[in-house]
Amino acid sequence: MEHTANYIGLIPLFPLIGALVLGLMHMLTCTNEKPLSEKLYGTLACIGPVLSFFLALVVFFHLKGLPAPERFLTHDAFTWFAVGDLHVNMGFLADPLSSLMLLFVTFIGSLIHIYSVGYMSEDQNFGKFFAYLNLFLGSMLILVLGSGPVVMFVGWEGVGLCSYLLISFYSEDTDNVLAGNKAFIVNRIGDLGFVLGMSFLFWAIGSGGFDYLSLKENAHNLTPTIGIVVCLLLFVGACGKSAQIPLYVWLPDAMAGPTPVSALIHAATMVTAGVYMVARFSFIYAHVPFAGSIVAWVGILTALLAAIFGMFQRDIKKILAYSTVSQLGYMFAGVGIAAYSAGIFHVFTHAFFKALLFLGAGSVIYALHHEQDIWKMGGLKEKLPKTYGCMVIGALALAGVPPFSGFFSKDEILFSALASGHTGIWFIGVLVAGMTAYYTFRMIFVVFHGTPRDQESFDHAHEPPSVMTLPLIILAIGAAFTGVLNLPGIFGGSLAVSHWLAPSLTEHHPHVSAWLEFFGIVASVAAVAVGLTIAYKKFGKGADEPEYTGFAKFGFNKFYVDEIYNAILVQPYKAFGAVISRFIEPNVTDIHVKFSTWLYKKAGSAFKSFQVGYIRVYAIYMIIGLSLMSLFLSQSIN
Amino acid sequence: MIAEGLFTAFSVLAVLGALGLVLFRHPMQGAMSLVVTMISLAGLYALLSAKLIFVLQLIVYAGAIMSLILFIIMFLNIQNEDLPNEPKHFYYFLGGLILLLPVGSFLIKVVKCVPGVEATIVGNGFGGVKEVGLVLFQDWLLPFEIVSILLLVALVGSVVLAGSKRRLSK
Amino acid sequence: MIQDYLTLSVILFCIGILGVISRRNVFTVFMSIELMLNAANLAFIAFSRLHESMDGHVLAMMVMAVAAAECALGLAVVILLHKHKGNLDTNVFSLLKG
Repeated sequence: MEHTANYIGLIPLFPLIGALVLGLMHMLTCTNEKPLSEKLYGTLACIGPVLSFFLALVVFFHLKGLPAPERFLTHDAFTWFAVGDLHVNMGFLADPLSSLMLLFVTFIGSLIHIYSVGYMSEDQNFGKFFAYLNLFLGSMLILVLGSGPVVMFVGWEGVGLCSYLLISFYSEDTDNVLAGNKAFIVNRIGDLGFVLGMSFLFWAIGSGGFDYLSLKENAHNLTPTIGIVVCLLLFVGACGKSAQIPLYVWLPDAMAGPTPVSALIHAATMVTAGVYMVARFSFIYAHVPFAGSIVAWVGILTALLAAIFGMFQRDIKKILAYSTVSQLGYMFAGVGIAAYSAGIFHVFTHAFFKALLFLGAGSVIYALHHEQDIWKMGGLKEKLPKTYGCMVIGALALAGVPPFSGFFSKDEILFSALASGHTGIWFIGVLVAGMTAYYTFRMIFVVFHGTPRDQESFDHAHEPPSVMTLPLIILAIGAAFTGVLNLPGIFGGSLAVSHWLAPSLTEHHPHVSAWLEFFGIVASVAAVAVGLTIAYKKFGKGADEPEYTGFAKFGFNKFYVDEIYNAILVQPYKAFGAVISRFIEPNVTDIHVKFSTWLYKKAGSAFKSFQVGYIRVYAIYMIIGLSLMSLFLSQSIN
Repeated sequence: MIAEGLFTAFSVLAVLGALGLVLFRHPMQGAMSLVVTMISLAGLYALLSAKLIFVLQLIVYAGAIMSLILFIIMFLNIQNEDLPNEPKHFYYFLGGLILLLPVGSFLIKVVKCVPGVEATIVGNGFGGVKEVGLVLFQDWLLPFEIVSILLLVALVGSVVLAGSKRRLSK
Repeated sequence: MIQDYLTLSVILFCIGILGVISRRNVFTVFMSIELMLNAANLAFIAFSRLHESMDGHVLAMMVMAVAAAECALGLAVVILLHKHKGNLDTNVFSLLKG
């Protein structure tokens, strides 16, 4: 038992070592005429994640063997720092929540590493890509496994850094670099919230130990006001990382990175870190329902807004990006109304089907030689049958068609909203479910059905190699069937995942009649069916790009949010900076600098006169010092 | 009694020689005064029962080193007009004396704290060649080797410095 | 008395310092340094006699070896100086002037 706990620290270590090795290899050989073989890089890159996955399995089954209340394994690798009351260990905690996250992060991470070997082939920065990807996975595992907020923050910043590096991966293009900058800066705003929230938490109840288990014990000492402040500040952090209103703007731009990166970081793992964090702090959120309802409303409004944007996009990756934002909104709605296990379960299923959709989109893009506009595709069903099949499964799961995984997890959230009396959230949720079905199948129909719109690239399209299709198939199986893991009672299941997560979370399951549950299911299925039908009517037989007029034009331009942010935040900030650089800097700050340089110059020329250059004069200086010392010392001798 | 008389004579000679070194204008006169100091110091070593050092002081210092210095002085054939003009050197001397007063008085104060022992002759071969040699090659072997390297380096260095024609032409 | 020997050593040392700081003749400065080394040697020998151990003798021998090395190098430098500048004034060297 002690043994398994010691292995926990190794789980993030494998990918980190991989990142170090790959990075050094790339750095030392990137100037060579002939770079190292891609096979070598690929193999080394995949070892770390796969090893971590197997260790995660070991930890999972070990936890499963323990009685439910004792499912906590901790391992303190070393003391990081100790300041006053604050003792921070580089500690790792494996409990039901983190072990579940661990399983799918390492599983999907491994698959995407394998897929990337195919997708990134013939890229000149092949080694660098995998070094970053490994570093990302290591940071993500630190985030998930951290035993306290500080360790989590290490991973939190690490994944932010990797996200930045990978968005700007094709750095020859200025737009990609700007997208990376945008992601990084918006994330910083969120991180400020996280740090402030963490500081408040420490100030309030941190003296009894600053890891989750001690915090959980002391949570009842938190006054409601401080609780709300902490919750909202932490939620600001979650908003930044998980792309919620008003900080969602970076995620669509983040699609500038390579597609496997979009799949791994900006769909399956990193962006769900915010949800994970809220669930981790469920012991605080459970005490302050007010903060929770703010989280829920922000989440569901984000879901609505992103779904509207998603209906009018033409870039296949941006459609998926907005659907990610929208699904993240669902998750926040779930954790906001204290249905933490439902939110986490949606994180789990979403990771499968969204990674699947992104990798499928990556296959399409790969097949069409980096064409991303859906209005230049069409009829690809025949050319890419495997990709088509997998994408359809992913789309069905995303749209929430029973019995695919997305249906169960989404329905669990909606049902919890209905059961706990949040009717408004439930109603918007059902609406968004319909819109999700519409935009998802709009994409499927336009890309794969109908007639080719660009005959030349259609003719050159071909199914990608099996190293790419195999992960797709595995993920498709996952997307189709993971829903049954948390089958609700009405379908004869027993909510296995919710029960598994229960020891880590602080939540109460409301008891309501089966009729209400049935009503909820019927409503969401009906909404999905309506969305699907409209999409089929409009695009099923092949259609050309419609004119965007009125509301559609408004939606196509994303409600001009970027422009508004630019006008009310970026431009005033720039103007402010210009004022400072033109008036304040030369007249206020520089004066100190100039004064001190002047002072040093004067002092220097004054001391210069001592430096006469004659050795014996220096000897005299020495003797002066010696005699002063002697005068001082002879006082102590009688 | 005789030992005390000898000590007084030697120390007066040593101080006079040292003063001569500092005060004489021509280096040749200074060097001759230094030889006087060296020889009287050798006598003092003998009074302190340091037989080997007594011999070495005479052979190495008063003999080898001083004759090398005298040889160089004569080799350069220094005339009175070659010597630097030192108009203020007496003021420097006085100023230095004032500066050194606290240093000297402090050191003498320290010396007064040393337990007073009569400097009588010690028997049992104290300071003899054999005994010093045993100490040197048992306890001080590593410093001894390092000093030998130092001498080698100094040898090579002086050859490079004084012998290089290329350096001079620059 | 040993103290007298030590006092003599202090006096010789101070005279050596005086020579270094008051004279400009390279040879005199050089020989003043030798004088200071000798003063140190005298102190070594005196302490050696005081404790009746011969480590001081060994150290004095080391000092002599160092003095010989210094003498060889120093005289080489003096010869160079004389050849370059044509005189023996230490004030000729003022390259360290600020």
